[in-house]
Amino acid sequence: MAPEIVAFYLFGAIAVGASLLVIAQRNPIYSVLLLIASFGALSGLYVLLDAPFVAVIQIIVYAGAIMVLFLFVVMLLNAPHEETDYDERVHPLLRPGPMRFGAALALLLVVELGWALGRGGDSGRFPGGAVTSVADIGRALFTDYAFPFEVTSILILVAMVGAVVLARREEHH
Amino acid sequence: MTPLLIAQIVLTLFVFVMLLNSAAIMVYVERKVAGMLQQRLGPYLVGPKGVLQPLADVVKLMFKEELRPRAADAFLFALAPIISATCAFAAFAVVPFGAETTFFGLLREPMKLQVADVNVAILVIFAIASMGVYGIVLAGWSANSKYSLLGGLRSSAQMISYELSYGTALAAVLLMANSMSLTAIVEKQAGAWLLFGWPVLPRWFVFPQIVGFLVFMTAGIAETNRAPFDFPEAEQELVAGYHTEYSSMSFAMFFLAEYINMVTVSAVATDLFLGGWQGPFADSIGWLWFLIKVAALLFFYVWMRWTLPRYRYDQLMAFGWKVLLPVAVVNLLVTAAGVLYFGA
Repeated sequence: MAPEIVAFYLFGAIAVGASLLVIAQRNPIYSVLLLIASFGALSGLYVLLDAPFVAVIQIIVYAGAIMVLFLFVVMLLNAPHEETDYDERVHPLLRPGPMRFGAALALLLVVELGWALGRGGDSGRFPGGAVTSVADIGRALFTDYAFPFEVTSILILVAMVGAVVLARREEHH
Repeated sequence: MTPLLIAQIVLTLFVFVMLLNSAAIMVYVERKVAGMLQQRLGPYLVGPKGVLQPLADVVKLMFKEELRPRAADAFLFALAPIISATCAFAAFAVVPFGAETTFFGLLREPMKLQVADVNVAILVIFAIASMGVYGIVLAGWSANSKYSLLGGLRSSAQMISYELSYGTALAAVLLMANSMSLTAIVEKQAGAWLLFGWPVLPRWFVFPQIVGFLVFMTAGIAETNRAPFDFPEAEQELVAGYHTEYSSMSFAMFFLAEYINMVTVSAVATDLFLGGWQGPFADSIGWLWFLIKVAALLFFYVWMRWTLPRYRYDQLMAFGWKVLLPVAVVNLLVTAAGVLYFGA
C-alpha cells in the first residue's frame, strides 16, 4: 500500500474513533480532549489532500482557540460527571420530551449517512485544480465567496456584541 | 539511503540536542545574569565559574521522587508535561537557522538548515504554540489542587488574550514579505535600506516594523509566561502555579518547555524582524549571525525578568486587550496601506 493510503486510513480511524469516544465519555474533560484528537486527525487528512493552509487553520481555530474555551468552561464549572436525571435503562426513544426528539434526529442522521455512503461513486470529489496557496484562498474568499464571508462576519459581530451586553456589569452609583 | 536523507536525520537530531543544550545554557545564564544584576556571584562552585551547575541540577531532578496527589487524574497528570515539552520541541522544526549549505562540499546538493520547510511555517508555529496551552491547562486541572487550577486558568486566559496581538503583529510582517515561509521572509531581508542611494541600515523588517517588533516581543514574553507576565506561576499568590504538584522529571519537562519556548520565540523574532542569518558573509557563517541575534534576544528576556516587577493580573488583561491589541491592529492597517501604496 502507498504511504498516503496508510496515512489516510490511520487518520480516518483516529477521527472516527475519537469522535465516537467523545459521546461515549462520561467525563466532559475527556470528551473535550478526544474532540481535539479528532480535529487533529482531520487536519492530517487535509494535509493528505494537499491543503496545508486549511490543515493549520483547522488546528489554530478549532483545536487551538475554540477547544481551549470549551476546556476553560468545563474546568471552571468543574463538572466531573454529567448528571443524568433519567432512567438509563430505558431506551432513548422511550424517554420523555426533548430527549425523544433528539433520539429521533439522531436516527434520521444515521439513515441519511447510510443513504449517502450507499450511493458511492465520486460525486463528492472537487473539480481538478484545488485551491491550495494562501493567496488563492484569499482571492476566492473576497471575490466568489464575498457575500457568505461578510454574512459570517456580521454573525460573529452580533455574537460579540451580545456577549459584551450579557457580561457587562451594572454600575451602582 | 541517500546522503541527503542521512544529512536530514543528522540535522533533526542536532536540532533536538541543541534545544536541550540551549535550555541548560539558559538556566546557567539566567542564574549568572540574575546574580550580576543583584550584585552577587550566582552559581560558582560546580565547575569553572559554575558552568556545570545545570548538569548538577539535572542530576538532582532525576533522582527526586515522582509524586502525585492522591486525588489527581493519573492519566492527564502524566500527559500534561509531555504535551508541554513535545509542543516546545515541535515548534522549532519549521524555524530556519541558516542559509542553504553543502557543509563544505560534503553534500552534492545544498540543503536547508531547517528541519522541515513548510510554506505556511508561521502558521504552523502558531498552531503548535496554541496546542502547548493544553499542557499547562491540563496540568492545572488534573492535579486537583486549588493553586494549580488557578495557575492553569490564569495561563489559558493570558495566552488566549495575547495570542491575538502576537498573530496580528506577525501578519504585518507577512504583508511586507508577501510570503508565509520563514525562509522566504529571511531572504526578503537581504541587502540594505537606502537613503538618497546610500545604504544606511540593514534591510531588516525591524526598522519599518518597530511597532510590530515591540508588540511581538511583549506578546511573546506573555506567551512564554515569563516575568513581568509570569502570572501562571506567581509565587506569592499561587505557590508555583500550574506545576505546584509536580516534582522530579515531570517538573523538569515544564521547565524545559519554558526555556525552549523562549528560544523558539527569539528564533522566530530573529527570522521575522532581525534578518535571520543575513549579515556579512551570510553564505558561510550565516548560522553564526543567527546565533548571535537569538542570544541577544534571550539576554533581553533574562534582563527583563530581573529588572521589571510583576504586573497585577487585571492590569495584564487590560494591557493586552486595551493597549497591545489596538496598537497591533493599527500597525497592521498602516502596514497594509503602506504596502498598497509603495508596492511590496
